[in-house]
Amino acid sequence: MPSGNDLFNHPFSHIYVEKAASDHPLTQAILARFSKSVIIPVGHYKDVFNRPRQNFGIQKQSQALILAKNRGASIFPGAPVCQDFGYDHFYYASSIRNCIFDCDYCFLKGMYGSGNIVVFVNLEDTFSELEKLLAEHPVYLCISYDTDLIALESLTGFTSRWIEFTRTHKDLTIEIRTKSFRKDIYDKTEPCDRVIFAYTISPRSIIERYESKTATLSERIAAASYAMAKGFPVRLCFDPIIYCKDWKDAYSSMIQEVSENIDMHQLKDVSIGSFRIPSDYIHKLRRDFPSSPVCQFPYENINGVFQYPEKIRAGMEDYLGSLLQNLISKDRIYKIDTNQVP
Amino acid sequence: MLFILCALTAEAKPLISALSLRKDNTSCPYDTYFAEDNSVVLAISGMGTVAAASATTYLLTRFGTKKEQDHLINFGSCAGKDPGMYLINKITDDISGREYYPDMLYDLSSAGLSFSSEKALTTVNHVVSSLEDPDQLYEMEASGIFQAGSHFLPPHRMLFLKYVSDSGVEDPKSITNAHLTACAEQQLSTVLLILGKLKNISEEIPSIDEDLFLSASYALHLSETLRHELYQLFVYARSENIDIEKILDGLKKEGRIPAPSKREGKEVLHAIRERLI
Ligand code: SF4
Repeated sequence: MPSGNDLFNHPFSHIYVEKAASDHPLTQAILARFSKSVIIPVGHYKDVFNRPRQNFGIQKQSQALILAKNRGASIFPGAPVCQDFGYDHFYYASSIRNCIFDCDYCFLKGMYGSGNIVVFVNLEDTFSELEKLLAEHPVYLCISYDTDLIALESLTGFTSRWIEFTRTHKDLTIEIRTKSFRKDIYDKTEPCDRVIFAYTISPRSIIERYESKTATLSERIAAASYAMAKGFPVRLCFDPIIYCKDWKDAYSSMIQEVSENIDMHQLKDVSIGSFRIPSDYIHKLRRDFPSSPVCQFPYENINGVFQYPEKIRAGMEDYLGSLLQNLISKDRIYKIDTNQVP
Repeated sequence: MLFILCALTAEAKPLISALSLRKDNTSCPYDTYFAEDNSVVLAISGMGTVAAASATTYLLTRFGTKKEQDHLINFGSCAGKDPGMYLINKITDDISGREYYPDMLYDLSSAGLSFSSEKALTTVNHVVSSLEDPDQLYEMEASGIFQAGSHFLPPHRMLFLKYVSDSGVEDPKSITNAHLTACAEQQLSTVLLILGKLKNISEEIPSIDEDLFLSASYALHLSETLRHELYQLFVYARSENIDIEKILDGLKKEGRIPAPSKREGKEVLHAIRERLI
């Protein structure tokens, strides 16, 4: 990857604005904030986002922002590779595509051709869509599925709006997954027991090696603690577990650091799952990131999902499970069931 | 390699001489010029999108492209309100209405092109007599070059550098070659700085020891599928800086390589994996 401070434009130096989204108040607010950026009007966001032969990795060096209007569905049934935490009606919402963080193993790199970020400014239309679904049955919704919503909170304000929406819709439970260090969101809004903040927890060495631009382990722990202190339900996700030669040491010192700094009994629950990814995505990741060990690991292809060989997978998950069982009751430990993965 | 396309010789002249490009005297469909070290090749397409697209395809197929290393640069004149040189961030094809977007990743301010030097451009099929939209630039090739180029190169490896030669004219003949060359000459130092910068931008293409891989896959009698698996082990070893040759040597010393049969070859493949991870 070419590098050098002076080679690339700064992130969001270029903002593509769909004509249909240009008058939206959020578009206007974002553009006012980035007054020095170059604004490029576009007919349809796909004309930029879906161009052929884009280089995801290079674009991440100078991410452009695309402001668009979502015209189709923005709520989708959860993928089988995801943990559903026992909820029957498990969905995810897609209001932002791509992320300002840069994890080597991110499935978005396999899913999208572009590393640029699309913000669908019309969140109110997603809320209307969701209200129709809520009229049918309760919904469990991951709202930070193809982005890290908290990391983009100062840009979009979406997390706060989701919390307010959830508070007034009693059949809705949302999960906000994050690797961010930000705590200010917890000062700005009242807690709600149906708004779950889910922190991905990884060992220091894995964060340094594979989770570029994300918060450090101590920052994530501090933010999770803070959320709990403010009364929000918090989930810790030991998922994805990433293999490394010294995984036992790495994961046991991580658990030690977590247990020393977090009141485990206060947690809503924890989840455990080793890295897994659909085959289409890993092929693209391998092509685009030839030097990344986590992309190039010789995974086993089980029914179209690449995952660690059984011995490694079960070894890591069981080990982590046994450590956690000493800290939190068994019924609050969720393990991804790989047999359920198609 | 830097592939440069200009519509007219008059636009290319200053570059050809500054870069000491030599004309290819073999029979070529388009006038083609080379740098001594083959780092730059320039072709004259002629006017219009069809000529530009076909010259782009000629250039990129004749010399072959490496999408991690090469850049395609369209340098030429255009009509616009203010004189100067511009980096194009959006190309609209006037006939089809389609829009094309080169990636704007590189910071070219040190070469003299700041954000204020970026503009949108419309590709038209005639010399314009006036500027329909004074904020736009107008010319006759860019959309063809982008469309053809995007079959070969990613959008961050295509740059469109346009200098203003006029603000629209009733009679195209009034724009003389001498004028186009003089305007190009004025932008030469900026263009050379940009080319110098682009020349050094290359993305990594790590490779494995192909000979070692081939000899190992023969020695293990691997099927096509298992060869892919071995290849993946080579790539993984390289990403982790593990010396796979050492592992293979170890297996040779143990008498397991070469394998006597396909079945044993498969077992050795398994052993390589075990030792790697
Ligand atoms: S934080 Fe999540 S969405 Fe963002 S890059 Fe990492 S894995 Fe992808």
